[in-house]
Amino acid sequence: MRSHVIRQKVRSTPDAVRPRPTRARFPGTAPVTSTELWVGVHLVEAAVGQEPGPLEQLALCAQRFTPRVSLVPPDGLVLEVKGSLHLFGGVEGLSRALASECASLRLKSMVALAPTPLAALVAARVGKPFVVTELTRLVGQLMPLPLGALRWSDETLDRLARMGVRTIGQALRLPRAGFARRFGTDSLATLDRLTGRSPDLRDRFHARERFRRRRELNYELESHDAILAALAPLLAELGKFLEARQCGVMRLECLLRHRHAEPTSCVLGLATPLADVRRLTELLGERLGALTLPEPVRACELRSSSLVLRVFSSNSVWQPGEHGGGAGAEAAELIERLRARLGPEAVYGLRVLPGHRPENAWGVREPGGPMGQPVAESGLKGRSRARRAPETTGAQRRESREAPAARRGTTLWPAFRRPMWLLPMPKLLSERDGLPRRRGPLRLLGEAERIETGWWDGGDIARDYYTALDLHGVRLWIYRERAAPHRWFLHGVFG
Amino acid sequence: MSAPSLQLARLLEHPAIWRGRSAARREALATGYAALDACLPGGGWPRTGLIEILIARFGVGELYLLLPLLAALTGRPAARWCAWIAPPLDPYAPALAAHGVNLERVLVVRAPEPLWAFEQTLGSGASDVALAWAVRDPRTREIRRLQLAAERGKTLGVLFRPQRAVRQSSPAVLRIAVESRPTGVRLTLLKSRGGARGSIEVEWTAGS
Repeated sequence: MRSHVIRQKVRSTPDAVRPRPTRARFPGTAPVTSTELWVGVHLVEAAVGQEPGPLEQLALCAQRFTPRVSLVPPDGLVLEVKGSLHLFGGVEGLSRALASECASLRLKSMVALAPTPLAALVAARVGKPFVVTELTRLVGQLMPLPLGALRWSDETLDRLARMGVRTIGQALRLPRAGFARRFGTDSLATLDRLTGRSPDLRDRFHARERFRRRRELNYELESHDAILAALAPLLAELGKFLEARQCGVMRLECLLRHRHAEPTSCVLGLATPLADVRRLTELLGERLGALTLPEPVRACELRSSSLVLRVFSSNSVWQPGEHGGGAGAEAAELIERLRARLGPEAVYGLRVLPGHRPENAWGVREPGGPMGQPVAESGLKGRSRARRAPETTGAQRRESREAPAARRGTTLWPAFRRPMWLLPMPKLLSERDGLPRRRGPLRLLGEAERIETGWWDGGDIARDYYTALDLHGVRLWIYRERAAPHRWFLHGVFG
Repeated sequence: MSAPSLQLARLLEHPAIWRGRSAARREALATGYAALDACLPGGGWPRTGLIEILIARFGVGELYLLLPLLAALTGRPAARWCAWIAPPLDPYAPALAAHGVNLERVLVVRAPEPLWAFEQTLGSGASDVALAWAVRDPRTREIRRLQLAAERGKTLGVLFRPQRAVRQSSPAVLRIAVESRPTGVRLTLLKSRGGARGSIEVEWTAGS
């Protein structure tokens, strides 16, 4: 960008630009002397609003001539071709190549060459042959062009017309100060950019790249393995495509087309930008294995989402599991593979919540690794919230147990008093003579722990929790309701 | 010690040589129970491979047996996942945290077909330890696959099976039957590669 600016500055003082000695590069090429040479392309009768627009399509094609392609919506395109002109057979060759690109896209276009982008574009809009390669000759060639090609507002053009100013040459001849006062500095700046008096910096066109390839099959496929094999060349191509751009995909869609039925879509969502063909194949294989196909497959297609730049990190010295070797990439890879087959909700992590009801004291969360949410922070949050919570009012003597759960090791309630397993819903126990039974009588161990809480949100509980031993020696966590009818429930297993 | 015998001793230390109940050095993880450490080769749970724990009933104390191990493994700085494959109930996070298990490293996987998820987890190299509860009784061939996956991924796999599998042969590194006792568990070492067989009683230490 820096060099770009400098070049523009040089060009902005026309006196400094001395015509360099003419060099015949190739037979038939025009002598080129200006520091920049722009091709303006004006699309005639361009259908605006199509997706993706014809302008973007043409810009994509034009990028083979030069990396400096800029869009001038809705119907203009400028390319800087100074450096690459000789590669395409000079002005004539390039014009011909551009015309054939337009023809292949079924676009009608006008092309002009000038040392400034605006001049090239304006000349292209006028539609007459216009090839100026030297800045010193530019103003003279621009003179006869109508002012309307500058696309100023109708009001400005009307006022100028009433003054008898209808061509660019007439406008350039007006006194600068007066022109700026009457028509605004913007209009003057436009004229300066047109003639190269001031630099004209333009944003480069960057294609929104996606990968999309289709493969028609000569025969119909039914087996998943065969479909995956048919997809292999597409995936290999995708791998090269991504590698060349140092990018990865976050989402990959695989469309399987049938003879009659609607195409089957199989979407792969990824946790990190991925470009590794082997892993993509593996994940896609898992996903395909879970699909039921209505009909044999006749064609398959791969579509990527927009590309994401990958951030590379160096490999660890240690293998995962050795010494200090962590499992950065493998950790996410495992989760992705499991989720590809089992569904996203089948793989989760655990966390402690600040809640007094045993069933509210834990929650599910995204498996927290180095790239997950910082769990230390959530633990701290839980602790401080539990301290502030007004829950102790309704709680009994053992109720101070919640908060320290996050603080490992230093628990105020004995760890043995909480079971390792919790039933999703408390299960009603049968009873005899007011004592609970589960495949035989249960022996209650120790004293009751009373949990009475939740009165403020309607989910209030009043329970006496006991540890009970069944006939097989399994320790259970059961409770008795404090309110009538004093039923017994099984709530956990100590494990 | 003479030179030849020194050479021989050095040769026998090679990990590829397996010498029955030899004292060949192997990496082990302390179980947290001295009585059990003394019986296991290397003085603890094997670092990699598959362990089978056979239980008459769910909840006889098999999980308490492993808690010191889980706490130690998840508490290390570069800890990998501690995966729970198809647990029959919800693991209760507050109790795990209270026993020193770092919940950041815990991964719960709900799978209708646990063996596939178990093999993936073992072989991926992304887990330190993976616990699995088999829905149906796995075949010997499947257990061999799991054992190989565990070695490949340098992971310790723990498979909980019903006690009726005692008579089946198994390629697992270690097989332990767990029975409940009033204040602990009685462990029967059914198979212990490179270690002794027999029964021991493990008492729960108060407050653990």
